[in-house]
Amino acid sequence: MSLLSLEAVSVCVDDRIIVRDVSLSINPGELHVIMGPNGVGKSTLLAAIMGLSHVRVCGGRILFNGVDITHLPSYERAKLGISLAHQVTPTFRGVRFLEVAKAISSRFNTDWRSLASPLRVEGLLSRDLFHGFSGGERRRAELYLALLQNPKLLLLDEPDSGVDVDTLRVLAGLIEDVVYNRGVSAILVTHSGAIVEKMSGVTRVHVMVDGSIVYSGDPSHVIPVILRYGYVKGLEVLRGGC
Amino acid sequence: MVVERGDVERALDKPSPFGLDLDVFRYIVEEPSIEELRVLELEEPVRRASEKLGFDGVRPSYVQVDQTALYRLLDRRLREQGVIVTPLRVALEKMDLARRISWRLVDPRSDKYTALAYLRGGELGYFVYVPPNVRVLTPIYTCLILRFERRAQIAHNIVYVDEGSEAHVVTGCAVPHGVREGLHIGISEFYVARGAKLTFSMIHAWSPGVHVRPRTAVYVEDGGEYVSYYMTYNPIGSLQTYPQVRLGEGAKAYSASVVVGLGSGDYDVGTRIVLEGRGSTAEIVSRTMGLHESRVKARAEIIGRAPEARGHIECLGLLVSDKASIAAYPHIVSENPGSTLSHEAAIGKISREELEYLMSRGFTEDEAKSIIVRGFMRVDAPGLPEVVRRHVDSIVSTISKLAIG
Repeated sequence: MSLLSLEAVSVCVDDRIIVRDVSLSINPGELHVIMGPNGVGKSTLLAAIMGLSHVRVCGGRILFNGVDITHLPSYERAKLGISLAHQVTPTFRGVRFLEVAKAISSRFNTDWRSLASPLRVEGLLSRDLFHGFSGGERRRAELYLALLQNPKLLLLDEPDSGVDVDTLRVLAGLIEDVVYNRGVSAILVTHSGAIVEKMSGVTRVHVMVDGSIVYSGDPSHVIPVILRYGYVKGLEVLRGGC
Repeated sequence: MVVERGDVERALDKPSPFGLDLDVFRYIVEEPSIEELRVLELEEPVRRASEKLGFDGVRPSYVQVDQTALYRLLDRRLREQGVIVTPLRVALEKMDLARRISWRLVDPRSDKYTALAYLRGGELGYFVYVPPNVRVLTPIYTCLILRFERRAQIAHNIVYVDEGSEAHVVTGCAVPHGVREGLHIGISEFYVARGAKLTFSMIHAWSPGVHVRPRTAVYVEDGGEYVSYYMTYNPIGSLQTYPQVRLGEGAKAYSASVVVGLGSGDYDVGTRIVLEGRGSTAEIVSRTMGLHESRVKARAEIIGRAPEARGHIECLGLLVSDKASIAAYPHIVSENPGSTLSHEAAIGKISREELEYLMSRGFTEDEAKSIIVRGFMRVDAPGLPEVVRRHVDSIVSTISKLAIG
């Protein structure tokens, strides 16, 4: 049985359909990458899997470990083992990073200390959460909090956005570690593909355009083509064009 | 400071520049008295008021109920260290030091509250003296309780931490349930001698109809350190306080205040720190919450008068109710080009995005609110003893439940 199954899922924001008829299956320990240009619905799809309230599943259903979670609130999904590393994070003025980390680790019975070092967030813990964080600090902090949930399925929304090369390596290494050594499944969304260049063990790559997955394939085949030609020309190449 | 009694009498009509103006003659000031404290003899309402502060299980060295000072004979260990904790009135009779430093930092002519304390207070309050090079790591607890209707309670507290010493003073002020009207005036004069350290935690648990006017001044000599932690978390009639701290060369001050505005209370709480000595440093952190119909004003001022002095102010407000209001007044004044001062202020509400974010991390909406409120109020004042920190944490947990309803 798949860990996550999307069955013809469509997602609406207000009355607009952003994601159309997406079907996807993820097995335990698999890392799937969804690539696509900006604004095609990648983040909306992750928000729908997480159950964020600003999006609404307006078609199809989402199964997690065989259970229909389409209408569960986000906190119930988190308890089942789904964790999202958000692309856009609110700033918590007056609330220290450590307070939030402790609350999450207490809820999920994890150790906030042991993960802090690999993600290099020790120096950030005494600061207000996300206040004045650089791009790289924000991404590391987000991944740290997402991993504190001890997830079965990790959703990574543009983890390579606004980060330097060194941070990219740290993030890529850690994501691969949790997938291959701890058996966590992951869906990673990226428009630039910068992070997937640093990864060796991606299970499958999906290309999303205009709210639909238009191509899925082996990473060794798809990634070099997209990175070389971009999405429009790259898709033509992948489909057997020139 | 030479003070003419006539000048002080004339100040009885002088309003404070901040806060609601009160008619101080509306309240009854009883004749002061002093007795030895035996906890078993404390009346039940007084004990309950002390429990409201989370003081159950601690042994306060000084308790003042209305205008009666109850003091405990000191623990043997403190006695052996030469520490003195006694009603100020007793200290003024017996100790030259007490007489020399009394009313030196706070001018009794400042306003009608200081004037009333000077003229009618009877010098109740506590006097704490820590001799040179003595570290008193166990906090010294004191407790001020307003017991009867329409009474004015006046306390004059003096703490002197001598050279190279360290002390931690915790003062709780409360009323038992059912007291609807009262006035509390607390005059505090703290001296932190060269290289000494004083942490002072004040926790207020008053009730609606009680008006509170603390008047605090602190002098920190060269290389000394003063840490202040203030918290008020029960409904109140009004509160106005603006402690003044002066720092010598290389001295440090950290002031944290956590104000939870409740009911229709009027809160005007500030701290002013003057960097007089070269290389002195100050940080003021203010957290205010506006619930119900409360009105909260948070003031903070740092004045840089010396080279290499540094100061920073952080005023943050969290508006929980749309009928409440919060105003922040961070103020920095540089009178020396070598001083570096900065401030930041922000007032906001708990945003939908913050709640949604925490809900995606496994918390219900109420739990998410609670995490935000608790985190917002949990200010880590450096150097507070662990036992005080735990005490404050437990109060913060209680308030966060209250804040989310």
